[in-house]
Amino acid sequence: MMPFTMPSLIAVDWWALGAVIALSVGAMLLLVLEFVPAPPASNRGAFVTLLALLAAAGSVLEVRDARRSLFDGMFLHDGFTVFFTVLFCVIGAVAVLQSWDYVKRTRINHGEYYALLLSSTLGMVLMAASNDLITIFLGLELMSLALYVLVGFRRTRLDSSEAAMKYFLLGAFASGFLLYGIALLYGATGTTNLAKVAMFLADSPMIGNPMLIVGGLLLLVGFGFKVAAVPFHMWTPDAYEGAPTTVTGYMSAGAKAAGFAALLRVLLVAFPPLMSEWRPILSWIAALTMTVGNVTALLQTNVKRMLAYSSIAHAGYLLVAVVAGGLDGGSAALFYLAVYSFMNLGAFGVLALLGRGAEERVTIKDLAGLGFRSPMLGLAMTVFMLSLGGVPPTSGFMGKVYLFSVAVKAGLIPLVIVGVLNSVVSVFYYLRVTVAMYMQEPGAEPVEIAWAPSAAIAVVITLALTLWWGVQAQDLLTTAQRSILGLL
Amino acid sequence: MAAFWHDPNVRMVFWALVKILVILQAMLGVVSYMIYAERKIAGHMQARVGPNRVGPLGLFQPIADVAKLFFKEEFIPDGANKVIFHIAPMLAVIPALIVFSVVPFGPQDALRVTDLNVGLLLFLAMSSIGVYAIVLGGWSSNNKYALLGGLRSSAQMISYELPMGLSCIPVILLAGSLSLVEIVRMQEHWWFVATPFGLLAFAIFMITALAETNRAPFDLPEAEAELVAGFHTEYSSMKFGLFFLGEFANVISISCIAVTLFLGGWNGPWLPDAFKFVWFFLKLAALLFFFIWVRWTYPRLRYDQLMNLGWKVLLPLALANVLVTAIVVWWRAQG
Amino acid sequence: MTEYVPVLLFLLVAIGFAGGTIGLSSLIVPRRRNAVKNSSYECGVEPVGDALQRFTVKFYLVAVLFILFDIEAVFLYPWAVTFRRLGLYGLIEMALFIVILFVGYVYLLRKRALEWD
Repeated sequence: MMPFTMPSLIAVDWWALGAVIALSVGAMLLLVLEFVPAPPASNRGAFVTLLALLAAAGSVLEVRDARRSLFDGMFLHDGFTVFFTVLFCVIGAVAVLQSWDYVKRTRINHGEYYALLLSSTLGMVLMAASNDLITIFLGLELMSLALYVLVGFRRTRLDSSEAAMKYFLLGAFASGFLLYGIALLYGATGTTNLAKVAMFLADSPMIGNPMLIVGGLLLLVGFGFKVAAVPFHMWTPDAYEGAPTTVTGYMSAGAKAAGFAALLRVLLVAFPPLMSEWRPILSWIAALTMTVGNVTALLQTNVKRMLAYSSIAHAGYLLVAVVAGGLDGGSAALFYLAVYSFMNLGAFGVLALLGRGAEERVTIKDLAGLGFRSPMLGLAMTVFMLSLGGVPPTSGFMGKVYLFSVAVKAGLIPLVIVGVLNSVVSVFYYLRVTVAMYMQEPGAEPVEIAWAPSAAIAVVITLALTLWWGVQAQDLLTTAQRSILGLL
Repeated sequence: MAAFWHDPNVRMVFWALVKILVILQAMLGVVSYMIYAERKIAGHMQARVGPNRVGPLGLFQPIADVAKLFFKEEFIPDGANKVIFHIAPMLAVIPALIVFSVVPFGPQDALRVTDLNVGLLLFLAMSSIGVYAIVLGGWSSNNKYALLGGLRSSAQMISYELPMGLSCIPVILLAGSLSLVEIVRMQEHWWFVATPFGLLAFAIFMITALAETNRAPFDLPEAEAELVAGFHTEYSSMKFGLFFLGEFANVISISCIAVTLFLGGWNGPWLPDAFKFVWFFLKLAALLFFFIWVRWTYPRLRYDQLMNLGWKVLLPLALANVLVTAIVVWWRAQG
Repeated sequence: MTEYVPVLLFLLVAIGFAGGTIGLSSLIVPRRRNAVKNSSYECGVEPVGDALQRFTVKFYLVAVLFILFDIEAVFLYPWAVTFRRLGLYGLIEMALFIVILFVGYVYLLRKRALEWD
């Protein structure tokens, strides 16, 4: 019989676990609140969600300098966890502000919307905090299952259901691959704990073990799917296009960041001994992802779809940072993730404002003349596009500069060349949106802009962060470096 | 040759085979005469006499029935999935039989086939495989009544499997083991049925047992008034016989488990250890009578009533029972 | 693992018994096929269409809910076995787990997922 240590309730650090508790209690509360009648105009769900997210972020910030290992080392509270928990909570909060009016306008204002939003945030937090392959899988499933439903939330629209179905089927496959990879790794190493896997690999480098290699590759497939890396990106455009716009923004930022959080932890904690094995594979994936994403984005006329391909391209840039590895690569990835999340959220937030009622007008033609009809919105969209393209003085520029300089330092010159070329290409399609907004006449039926105070706040927050980190990146950079330190 | 016989592995396999064959024969005998008993009891409950033509008091009736089934013409409807059509009746019998491998009939090693430390799990696993027989049988027949019967039945069986599984948990909490032998040993002084939560768990277990075996008042899968014969509409000859056998084998195996879990297994006063197994069989006979009694007393439930009972009454009740039992066990452990 | 060998033997015997019974009976039973006999039974009228049609989605719902709660039961078994050693910690953990599932159960009830009408 295995040695058995008595767990104790007193040994649990409740602050460190606070985010998980706040998010799960919030999600359950929302489900039950669904049956307590409320005036139709009230936005109770959004309010409760915001409170839960704030409580979660506040709770981990309360013990941000502590380092705790909970539940037999399955759940780790360290700088990395704090960074991502706060990031996810802010992403979630911005998404709630964007959805505040949007879900009412498009008639998808069910209590489940916010409950699912909170559950998927909880999944993301778990993914970032897990130090064990099993809990990573648990978090991933929690996040994905909620997202599958959210993607199909506009039930009356065919493309939304189709998107959810595609996302679900491919996602279920990817989860299966991931789980199978975990099983093989467990078979090869005898443990699912990341730190113990690393110890095992360091003691007996079994590079040639087919079980280990296949397990690792399957793991990469699973994560590759979640972060939308080529060739596992097929679901992205359809899912992004079909999902409600606010959900698209949320998942493009949150799910990607969560995927990278788990990937970083797995690669930097468990697999440094096998670095020479996974680096070339990831390099190829990174180069392919950047190129395919950008080239395909060039051909899109639907802005949502274009942003979907752009998010694939950004996954490629992020993979370059992951390949660079170590303190520099890790902090570059964290920095870029934070920056990318908010510029992308901002762009989708602007798109969510376009259209009357449940209609969706997000082609480049629909954006024509927007810059004059609503200078504020046009300016914001321009900044987001410039930032996504990596033009100074925006945060996207700082992110790319730091990322590529780190890659150069790590000796990844070919990857950097591919990346820079791709960035140049990408500016073209981002600028197409700006050109449409400022240099084209609106069509016969100009798009209606559904302004709402909450959405304006969301735009202001994302805009401010994008500009602030463009000129004043040092704080974020220091935080990212401190956060990654705990992993190494 | 002698060395071969003295090999402990060979001896173990040999004795296990002997026990298995004895159990198989005994089971067939019990099933035959349970059917006879059911018809007799039903007859008397309805002021009839029941079968009385074949042999004295109709005692040879079961033999005649089996012979009849063996020589019945067999047909398979066009469009049926032949392979699955043949496998389904086998699936109805096999899991019900395997459960007997973990039932301890008496305190001696000779009176059980084996003692698994997960014996209870084996029973639950096997009882859930039983669903496949019915849903596959109904699906492969290419018959609308069979399909509907199979679907209804699988929904019913999985719905009642939940409270059944949950009603076993108080017993595990009290016994601290999944081994059926261990569970019986823990009841040496006090049967689990004689505790308040044990009684509730026993009641839930017996109700779900009726539903799991598709016996009245839960025999909706074969509700003849609306579904002809349910999932086995298209079955004839010995394939129908196996479904029939499977149902009764299930009744017996579930009763054995109920005796083991709640009624103290072989435990009972007066008899010396060597004859303790008599108690087991007396209790078993009482439970089998209960099954027959219920069938001829209660009318069939409507489908929505059936699902409501399972999901809205038994499931929360069983869950609450688990929590209450846990609290009491913890309380007692505090002293 | 030797205690599992008898179970395996029982499985083989059971398969042999079931297969043997069907095999033996199909050797001796009469077979006089004709088109009417082979058509599927539909109360004596000509069968209409194929039997494998769409059926109500409620059955899928029951199946999904079953998996959900069955997993719960599966978690309860090992917990129940080690309950005495887990003590108060185990009690509170499992009570939390059951409460979380109960919230889901209440949600199901109120969404009328368990109604058959």
